[in-house]
Amino acid sequence: MTEGTGGGTAIAGLGMTELGRVYGRSPRRLAADAVRLAAADAGLALGDLDGLLVSHGMGGSPGIELADTLGLRDLRLLSQLNSFGATAGAMVSYAAQSILSGAASTVACVFADAPLKPERSAGSAYHRDAPEWYGFGGMTAALGFRSVNAFYALAARRHMERYGTTGDQLGAIAVATRAWAAGNPRAQMREPITLDDHRASRWVAEPLRLLDCCLVSNGAVAIIVTGADRARDLARPPVHVWGWGQGHPGHRKERGSDFGLTTGALTSGPIAMKMAGVTPGDISQCQLYDCYTYTVLVSLEDYGFCAKGEGGAFAASGALGPGGALPTNTGGGQLSSYYMWGMTPLSEAVIQARGDGGERQAGRNDVILVSGNGGILDHHSTLILSPHPKGA
Amino acid sequence: MEIGVLRRDGRTDPFFDGTARDRLVIRRCAACDRWFAPDQAGCPECGAGELEWAEAAGTATLVTWTVTHGRPAADGTAPPPAFLALVELTEGPWLHARLDGIDPAALREGLPLRARFRHPGAGESYVLFGPEG
Ligand SMILES: [Zn+2]
Repeated sequence: MTEGTGGGTAIAGLGMTELGRVYGRSPRRLAADAVRLAAADAGLALGDLDGLLVSHGMGGSPGIELADTLGLRDLRLLSQLNSFGATAGAMVSYAAQSILSGAASTVACVFADAPLKPERSAGSAYHRDAPEWYGFGGMTAALGFRSVNAFYALAARRHMERYGTTGDQLGAIAVATRAWAAGNPRAQMREPITLDDHRASRWVAEPLRLLDCCLVSNGAVAIIVTGADRARDLARPPVHVWGWGQGHPGHRKERGSDFGLTTGALTSGPIAMKMAGVTPGDISQCQLYDCYTYTVLVSLEDYGFCAKGEGGAFAASGALGPGGALPTNTGGGQLSSYYMWGMTPLSEAVIQARGDGGERQAGRNDVILVSGNGGILDHHSTLILSPHPKGA
Repeated sequence: MEIGVLRRDGRTDPFFDGTARDRLVIRRCAACDRWFAPDQAGCPECGAGELEWAEAAGTATLVTWTVTHGRPAADGTAPPPAFLALVELTEGPWLHARLDGIDPAALREGLPLRARFRHPGAGESYVLFGPEG
């Protein structure tokens, strides 16, 4: 074990720019601002960083040129990672492993994106359109598959047909998540909603309604990972990294595929929980990637919080909302707070682990599960975080 | 949603040669007799780098579906909904498809479907899937 990492690794800093309809700043500029904020939050100077990991959204930036923008010198770790929505978890695990091996000591991980444009709808940011389409792949888009919504709708419908999952059960997730958002000053949507509001919201791609779909946001979020022993001497309480895992199921598009029924959480969950020395019953709260209500539902099943096919009933039981048995997406998630890909659940986990949740602080925060999900359920990451040192 | 104008890309031209003749031409691995969608690049089963083009029966079953709704305009009008699906060809591969002439109330996993070819005035012919029979 490398000197100074006997206590494992921890998240020592969190930086968030303004999030939502934030215009006039490029993703690279937003990313730089978030890293500066994260370093200041930790009580570190930028010169204390010896590692930088970057992840971009729709805009293709930032890349590793961000190190130059920030004036970082003599870095020991610098890379751009991409597993889509699973990248935030992947960045933390890469940073943690680099620190444990002695390859680096203090690593910033940042995501930035600015897909929203002032005079265009949020939906258009993730919508393809063209006068002509090319080849067989183009035919799929030409026929009507022009946004991610349709692909997730296929997945959700398959789960409904196979297990009897209902629209109201998806609605219960939207309602619970919005109830949490009411307590988050950073949330873009804080007005409480009811199941009737969900039933009345317009169809986007059946069975998904507008209130089943995440927001679109501009902004950036950064975190700083360092050795737990070092983190203890910094400005904020350490958020210990107990475990991590990834799962990339590679669902084939052919007879016998489990597409829509399972996710990579089936693989990444047990890996991360075994590393952390916990079981689903030990998890105090979940911060799950909720690009759609359905994604939360199927992830809860695959993590073992309920049996396969019972995610709908579990969500409708009230377990996820304020006062529930398994507080989930306590900041309002991607559905109601802000859409920073995997940094949405990760940032809220850091806030909750520090006890900084204010009126939305969940009762227990001892063991927090954070998920990432990318592609069309193609990529998954899991982190287990805690305010307590691992094994203490 | 309007169906867009299709052009060839040089990699999947035999598929469009097929749709022009009302034939569903997809990929098949000669080494292990597995069938794949027209954009499959190699056989993930046996590792063969080359796949042949072969004519599928054109029959399928419904795996899952969605009805997409465009964003309403300022005057409240919305484009007509599109019925989109994953269909499982009799040979095994799944295709992302658009359904044609279906009764929304009859949609269910396993619904028998058949390829229906369309020959628009502009661009390549394409395939939709409608009820068997
Ligand atoms: Zn083969």
